[in-house]
Formats: sequence, structure tokens, C-alpha cells
Amino acid sequence: MGFLGEYIRTVYKSVASLLKGMKMTGYYFTHHKEIITQEYPDNRDTLILPERFRGEVVMPHTESNEHRCTGCTACELACPNGTIKIITKFEVSPEGKKKKAIDTFIYHLELCTMCNLCIVACPTDAIKMAQSFEHSVYKRADLTKVLNKPGSKLMEGVE
Amino acid sequence: MFSIEKISGVVHTWLASHLPARIALLSEFVIVGILMISLFAFLGLVLVFMERKVSAYMQIRLGPNRVGPKGIFQTLADTLKLILKEGLRPTGADKFLFNLAPYIVMMVAMLLMAPIPFARNVQIWDVNIGVLYISAISSISVIGILMAGWSSNNKYSLLGAMRSGAQIVSYELSAGLAILSIVILTGSLRVSDIVASQATGWWIFKGHIPALISFVIFIIAVTAETNRAPFDLAEAESELTAGFHTEYSGMQFALFFLAEYVNIFIVTAIGATLFLGGWMPFHIGGWEAFNHIMDFIPSSIWFFGKTFFLIFIIMWFRWTFPRLRIDQLLNLEWRYLLPIGLFNLLLMTVIGILGWHF
Amino acid sequence: MSANSIVFYLLALLIIGGGFMAVTSRKIFRSAVYLLFSLIGIAGLYFWMHYEFLAAVQIIVYVGGIVVLIIFSIFLTQTSSLDMPRPNLSRRLFAGLAVLCGFLLTSTLLLQHTFIPSLEPEGDTSVSAIGMKMLSVGEGGYALPFEVVSILLLAAMIGCIVIAIKAPGDK
Repeated sequence: MGFLGEYIRTVYKSVASLLKGMKMTGYYFTHHKEIITQEYPDNRDTLILPERFRGEVVMPHTESNEHRCTGCTACELACPNGTIKIITKFEVSPEGKKKKAIDTFIYHLELCTMCNLCIVACPTDAIKMAQSFEHSVYKRADLTKVLNKPGSKLMEGVE
Repeated sequence: MFSIEKISGVVHTWLASHLPARIALLSEFVIVGILMISLFAFLGLVLVFMERKVSAYMQIRLGPNRVGPKGIFQTLADTLKLILKEGLRPTGADKFLFNLAPYIVMMVAMLLMAPIPFARNVQIWDVNIGVLYISAISSISVIGILMAGWSSNNKYSLLGAMRSGAQIVSYELSAGLAILSIVILTGSLRVSDIVASQATGWWIFKGHIPALISFVIFIIAVTAETNRAPFDLAEAESELTAGFHTEYSGMQFALFFLAEYVNIFIVTAIGATLFLGGWMPFHIGGWEAFNHIMDFIPSSIWFFGKTFFLIFIIMWFRWTFPRLRIDQLLNLEWRYLLPIGLFNLLLMTVIGILGWHF
Repeated sequence: MSANSIVFYLLALLIIGGGFMAVTSRKIFRSAVYLLFSLIGIAGLYFWMHYEFLAAVQIIVYVGGIVVLIIFSIFLTQTSSLDMPRPNLSRRLFAGLAVLCGFLLTSTLLLQHTFIPSLEPEGDTSVSAIGMKMLSVGEGGYALPFEVVSILLLAAMIGCIVIAIKAPGDK
């Protein structure tokens, strides 16, 4: 009888486990509120992206067109695939002191893997990750971006 | 009240009074044929859409929702695409058999439609061996699959066809035993007799637990016979690309696809007829008022409602369970379904002889 | 010509044509498929004669069983996509002789038999009547052959199990 008991137990257990699975899918089928699909182009205005989503590197500028980048190239060194290229220049301050500053902050979006290492490396929090994700363009060259705005200056007090 | 029986009666008397007898009969054949083909097309469209929606909701998705309101024209658009596509044939394929295979599969599905009672007195051919006819004809469809697999000259196709053949041949036994247990209770193979015997209650309720067990066995066996997940290892996408219809494209592929869904409809219709009373409304012996209210719902709605309920259950299986391995598949059949089915048949015979059913 | 005889001739064409193609085809899988057509034609003939039960059994046993078995053995053993070699002359000669003898035997039998023209099936062809006859021990009953066949099938089944079973301790 041991064999028969084992047999019936197997049947009972497998049926129970199958029903458990069906209960789960049945719950989802009847509860449409659980649906996680986003109808993207329609809900563009109300779209809420997760907090840690990383879209592209941007350099925030204040209203008076100032940024926090000192041109230390820490981000350029930190980048694993050469996405960032910083061209520096020497600015002469009113007191006649020469000071290093950025001329152009070149960012290759097409090479970027959104690894966040540059943001971590930046000592002055000059760059950050934006949540924009609609990056498609017609020319590859359009993906090479200059992050500092023309005529922008280093913010006072940032060393 | 709306009834297919009355409409067909009106058409019949009109044709008989306006045309000579032979031409009237011939035109009735043509009408029935056209109706069947349109039912096929309708089922293909509806079931594919239903499957996509059901699967979407079960996987917390939305499913097709772009073509038409709520995406209801999605399958129509897909069909249009398939019609316009080129039917390719690989070099080295057996041209004759390659082209023949989808039609064999389709023809089997069409032949199986004949004894299905769609509503009260609406049945194409009430053959006296009804249920046996269904088991016999459905065993031909495996030939179409083997033919498609072999003639494609592709290893995936051949492997898929072999798996499918082994599966269909073994699960036919369990389905047959489940059907037999109901035949024991009714004492007739004729489909109309089986439906008529359920006027006082459906067999799944009248036949106690053995009927329930054979119902479960039947559903499992027909899921396997129609090569659907979790028994879809004949076309296991991750291993065999698409199994026996890997090399098919365009309308020939569409025929296989359509045949799969029509076969699901047919087997569930048979299940509904045997276990859930076919077009018979839900009756409880003795409750006259309740029975009378149930009679107001047209019989075709009862039939299609039950059938679609069973189709939904089979879809539920598909989107819940993972695919079985070949040894698990054969283990399930030969170690569980078949012995349980045989024992159940014995139990059913005892119930039938002693008249323990209601 | 009535519709009835048209159907008959179509079925006859299917049976004879299928049989002829089955023996002349050079591809073994195609032969199996033509054999299938021939057998389906015979089932159709039974349906045409209103022997529905016989037709269904014909399809279950020959189409669903034998032909599938043949196809499976072709798949598992032969290089089925290649043409078969042409048989040598003596073989063809003897095969032709055998066919001729068979043909003569059948045609003499057919010519000597007097056919009664009738469209109704002979006797009661309902399944319950056939079942009763199958297990009846009285006049014209088939109980003995039925039991003999079931013993044969049981022996075959036990043989299968003995071949397939694992010896104890055999991994």
C-alpha cells in the first residue's frame, strides 16, 4: 500500500501546486489595476520615471549662466569608454591671475553607457544625470553634445 | 425568439418551394459550406484576439490596443498581412507534400465540425457513431503534422513533427477513455443522444466524482492533443524555432495557425457537449420556474458560452504553466493519466450498471 | 449518372490511384502517404455504404495506427529523403507475377459472385447491435474470436512490458 499512498500523494501535491499557479494568474487576470504597462506616447505628459533612471549627462546652469565645472577632468579620467572630452583654457582674472577653466565640455551620448562614474567622480557636483530618454536624432553627429552653454562662467566660490 | 433552428427551417422551406429538389439540396450544401468557412474565419479572428488579450491580462500587460477600439481589429490586420505575404518553399523540400500538409490539417478540422451540435437541432451530420467519428477523424491530423515536418527538409521541423506525433498518439488514449466514460453513462455514441441525456442535468454534476475526474483528464489530454502549452514541445520556440511549421510562411502558415485555433474550438466544443450538456440549458431537476427561466436563453448562446469558458481554461493553462520535458510528458500520460483513466472507467461502469447517477 | 455513382467512382479512383502510386513512388515517405490516401478512400467507401462503425474503425486502426507506425519507423530507420534504389529484374518479374495471380484470383471471385443491387446496408449496423453480436455466444456470435484476439493482444502487451521493463538494480 505504500506505493499507492505515495502515488496519491504525488497526484494531490502536483494538482495543488498547479492550482496555486492558476490562482496567481487568475488574480492578475481579474485585477486590471495591477497592469504595469505604460501607454507611452499617450501618457507623455503624466509620465513618471523611476528615481534612479539615468538618461543622459547634463551640466546644470544657473539663471545667470553659471556652472560649477572647474575643468579638473576627473570625469574624463573616470569615464571607462572615453565619452567625455574636456578642452580647457586659461582665463585671466581681473587681478591678473591665470586660472584654468573649461572651454568646451564635449559629451558623446552615442558612447555613453549611463554608468554614473563621472557623476561620482566630480568633486564639485557640476554634472548630473538627467531623466530625458527621447534621444533619437537624424544624424550621428547630433549625439555629440557640448554641455557648457556659450558664454557661461564658473560659479563664484567653486574651487 | 431568435433561434438558428427556425432560420434554417425558413431557408429550407423557401429553397424547397422555389427550386427543384436536387438543386435545393445542392444549394443547401453550398450554404452550409460557406457558413462553416465563415465560422472558421470568425473563430480564427476571435480566438487569436482572445488569446492575446487573456495572455496580456494574465501577465499584467495590456495586449493589443492600437488597431481599432481596444485593438479589436488587430487580428484582421494580421490576417491581411499574412494574405499579402509570399509563401516560400525551401529548396530540397518535397513540393507536393509540403503544399498538401496544411490542407490536410485544415480538412481534418473541417471534417470534425460535422457532428458538433451548435444549437437545438442544429448539427451538420448527426452520424450514429458520433463520438467515435470524432476520435477517428482527429487521429488523421497527426499525419498532416508528420507530413509537414518531413517535407520541409529541416531538422527542427522533423524533430517537432516526431515529438508531436508521439504526443498525439499517446494522449489520444486518455482522451478516448474520458469520452468512453460518458458513453457508458449515456449508452449511445450519437451526439444528439448524449445531449438529450443531459436534459435533467449535466454529466459533470450527475456523474459524481468519476465524471469530474474524466473531465479533468479530458481537458489535460486535449490540451496535449492540440499541442498547446504546457504541452507545446512540438513547437517549442526556444528549442525548435517553430517545430513542424518552421519553414511555412504566408497563407500556408496561416492555415496551420487557423487549424490550431479551430482544433481548440472543436475539442472544447466536444468537451462542452459531453460534460457540460452542449446546448442544453442549466437545469436542476424539480425546480420548474428556474428551469423555465434558463430555457429563455437561446441554446446557441449556451453552447458557445460553455465552449468559450473551456477555451478560456485552456488559455489559462497556457499562460500559467511552464513547458514539460518529453520524459515528464510521457510520464504524465503513461504513469498518471492512463491508469487513473482506466480505474475511473471501471468506476464509471459500476455507477452506470448500478444506476447510481442521477 | 447519379450523384451516388459519381461519389463511388471518385472513391474508387482514390483507392486505386493511391495504391498504384504507393507501389510506384521512389520515395518511401511518399509511398506511405499514398497508402494513407488509399486507406482513407476505403474508409470513405464504408461511409458511402452506410457502414459508419466499420469506417471509423478503418480510420482509427489503419490511418491513425498502422500508417503512423509506418511513418515513424521510416523516420527512425531510413534516410527517407533519398530515392530508393531500383529493384533488379528478377524481383520485378516475381512481383509482377504475384500481382497477376492476385488479380486473377480476385477477378474470378468477383465474376462468380452474384451481387444483389441494394443501397441499404446489410443487417443492423448500429454500434449497439455490433457490440451485442461481438459478445454473443449464440448463433452468429463472435464471442470466441473476440476472446482469442484479446488474449493475443494481452500477450503482445505483456511482451512489450517485458522488453521495456528495467531489471531490478539496473540503472
